[in-house]
Amino acid sequence: MTTGKQGAIDDIEAIRKGFETRGYICNAHIATSIFLAEKLQKPLLVEGPPGVGKTELAKATAEMVGKPLIRLQCYEGLDEAKALYEWKYGKQLLYTQVLKEKLGDLMSGAHGLKESMTRLHDFDDTFFSEEFLEPRPLLKVLWQPGGAVLLIDEIDKSDDEFEAFLLELLSDYQISVPELGTIKARTTPIVFLTSNNTREIGDALKRRCLHLYIPFPDTDIEQRIIAARVPEMEARLRTQLVAFVQGLRQLDLKKLPAVSETIDWARTMVLLHARELDADLVRNTLNVLLKFQDDIGNVDGEINALVSKAAQAG
Amino acid sequence: MSEVLGDFIRALRAADIRVSTSESIDAGNVIDLVGFDDRAILRDALSQVLAKSEDEKQAFTETFDTYFSFEQFKKRPASVEAANENDGSEGQESEESGGESEGGEGDDPSQSGSSSSPGGGSGGERQGERAPAPDLVSLLERGDQAALQMALAEGARQAQLNRIRLFTQRGMFTRRIMEIMGLDGLNEEIERRETAGNRESAERLAQAREELRGQVRDYVEKQLEIFTANSGRQLREEVLAQMRLSNVDRSDMRIMRDLVRKMAKRLIALHSRRKKVARRGTLDVRRTIRANIEFDGLLFHTIWKKTKVDRPKVMAICDVSGSVAQISRFLLMFLYSLQEVLPNVRSFAFSGELGETTELFEREKLEQALVEVLRDFGGGSTDYGRAFEDFEALAMNDIDHRTTVLILGDARSNYGDPRSDILKLVHARARRVIWLNPEGRSMWNSGDSEMRRLSPYCDKAVTCASLKDLERVVSELLRSAV
Repeated sequence: MTTGKQGAIDDIEAIRKGFETRGYICNAHIATSIFLAEKLQKPLLVEGPPGVGKTELAKATAEMVGKPLIRLQCYEGLDEAKALYEWKYGKQLLYTQVLKEKLGDLMSGAHGLKESMTRLHDFDDTFFSEEFLEPRPLLKVLWQPGGAVLLIDEIDKSDDEFEAFLLELLSDYQISVPELGTIKARTTPIVFLTSNNTREIGDALKRRCLHLYIPFPDTDIEQRIIAARVPEMEARLRTQLVAFVQGLRQLDLKKLPAVSETIDWARTMVLLHARELDADLVRNTLNVLLKFQDDIGNVDGEINALVSKAAQAG
Repeated sequence: MSEVLGDFIRALRAADIRVSTSESIDAGNVIDLVGFDDRAILRDALSQVLAKSEDEKQAFTETFDTYFSFEQFKKRPASVEAANENDGSEGQESEESGGESEGGEGDDPSQSGSSSSPGGGSGGERQGERAPAPDLVSLLERGDQAALQMALAEGARQAQLNRIRLFTQRGMFTRRIMEIMGLDGLNEEIERRETAGNRESAERLAQAREELRGQVRDYVEKQLEIFTANSGRQLREEVLAQMRLSNVDRSDMRIMRDLVRKMAKRLIALHSRRKKVARRGTLDVRRTIRANIEFDGLLFHTIWKKTKVDRPKVMAICDVSGSVAQISRFLLMFLYSLQEVLPNVRSFAFSGELGETTELFEREKLEQALVEVLRDFGGGSTDYGRAFEDFEALAMNDIDHRTTVLILGDARSNYGDPRSDILKLVHARARRVIWLNPEGRSMWNSGDSEMRRLSPYCDKAVTCASLKDLERVVSELLRSAV
């Protein structure tokens, strides 16, 4: 039912189902945002704590619409030479050398400087042309004949200037190369931007995007996520595990465990052939779930209470 | 549709959510796409185009829920219920779907003209003269809640309820809406029935009228709340930001604290990134050669030397003696907020003896920390000489070319030696020394003020009397820190 390439995105419920068959469980809120992004042809800015599936959303969408996913990871110092295009300097060098050799043939029989110049002007100049352009992710997306899904990951890590540079791409799906002019997208891509909020994203950028905030999932959704991602786990243990993690998120921790950590933990449990959650097992595997020694120390006292509560849920 | 949306966006702006024109247009497109059928989806969809941060999402949800709610019509008034039970179920149903979305108002034939009239205000007035008021008497008798609700919404539109700004306007708007809904006709009808001897039905109708009046008043109050949610506070904040800090009333402390926090947050958002400045003209030879090996050593890429601009290192010295305590309180607040984000803020407080408060700020909550600072260091008689001596012992070794030293005080040292020699030393080591004096410039050097002897060793000595001044100074501090 969801094999149609474009048909999958026509209504919200279909999108949700389409994601589900691909192992990405989400609520109607997220599905709505994909629907809007496609219909309004606007980029989607996804924010939320790390590990709730922001990047995964882009991957699942790419898979669903059957288009290639092109990813641009942002970092401090990322500039247009790495994000957009680069001239193939080596080839350009060779080209000028070839040109120099051919110049004699071209100019033979020309009388006077003026005629030589006219011939030179008539000569097709390809020094700055698309052949010498080395496409980087953004240009690749624009050139992709059938359209693509572009993921600009962790935009908050990039510099302000880069953010400003993206504005043209995000509002008109085109970019300007000074030597060539404007390059327009062949097919409008679906664009995702993700941010972990290490800094405030500029208003200009926000205005051009739809904004989706993904919080930690509720118990029901998380259970279904684990069921989809770690199908070999027993239902009872899964319920306990999710209840434990949900309880953990109520505590005051430096870094709360996200969905990706829950999945890792579930896989750990499966590897250890665990049948039931008990305090010792939790204590031994807590480092999969919590990434700070301080947090592990703080949780230690609460483990018994959390486990017994989780056991009731199962 | 567009009018409903326009009002809603105005309500959002009142709730401190910034909505640009292009976002309004997007919102219109979104509504065209998803329609008014599913309330949850409409809310999700609108929140994605209109609210663009976590805080804004929260405010959005609250505003959406209050704005698109009509619960005053959910419950049927008992009197009309008794009068006509037969069509009750039907009314109930339509009322529920009506409650879901305001967009349903376009369905009513008597108002079909309204959606096409462009421009809210003038169109509304024109409408008011032309459109016949729906027959209020029959609506009340039938107890048709959905139609009543539409009539109310239409009445509110014609009365331009969205312009309501003051709570004293409540009565006026209630009356105006009732009149538009056909109050005169209703009163006449009641009178006519009374004279005709139909006392019972007249009474029933009169009771229904009073209930309607209550509903209209509730509606007006809710709208007042929506459209003016923040305007009072905004005004207050504006005034407070410019008021002399020494004049701020104790009762405004809470607002002040939020204001300080907000300013600090804004400054941090502006300046928290480490910047790089390219030193133009200085070639990084090593990296350039390496980058150009692939081009046979021809220098296509030139790489210039860069300097990283680090976050500023700030040391703040605060006079907390009686004369300036009120103002230092705010500087302390500001420092506290800054310290949460900037890694290199050290703060000191003194009146006679000087002590470091950095650790206290890290440990305690703001209120508690302020109380403790003022208790431990406040109240004594000011002695700048002593304070500078203590500062020298505590922190002189940590002052380097990246440090900015911020001093807040009135430089009134009770005729003691202010030890300007120490300040001279600090000045020589530090990147900058900034003196904030709460007194106006004309008061400097009068009496026991030592500004004349101290200011030569400051890169900058400015008056800082209000929160706006403070913001300006701190902003400069963060911007130009290298």
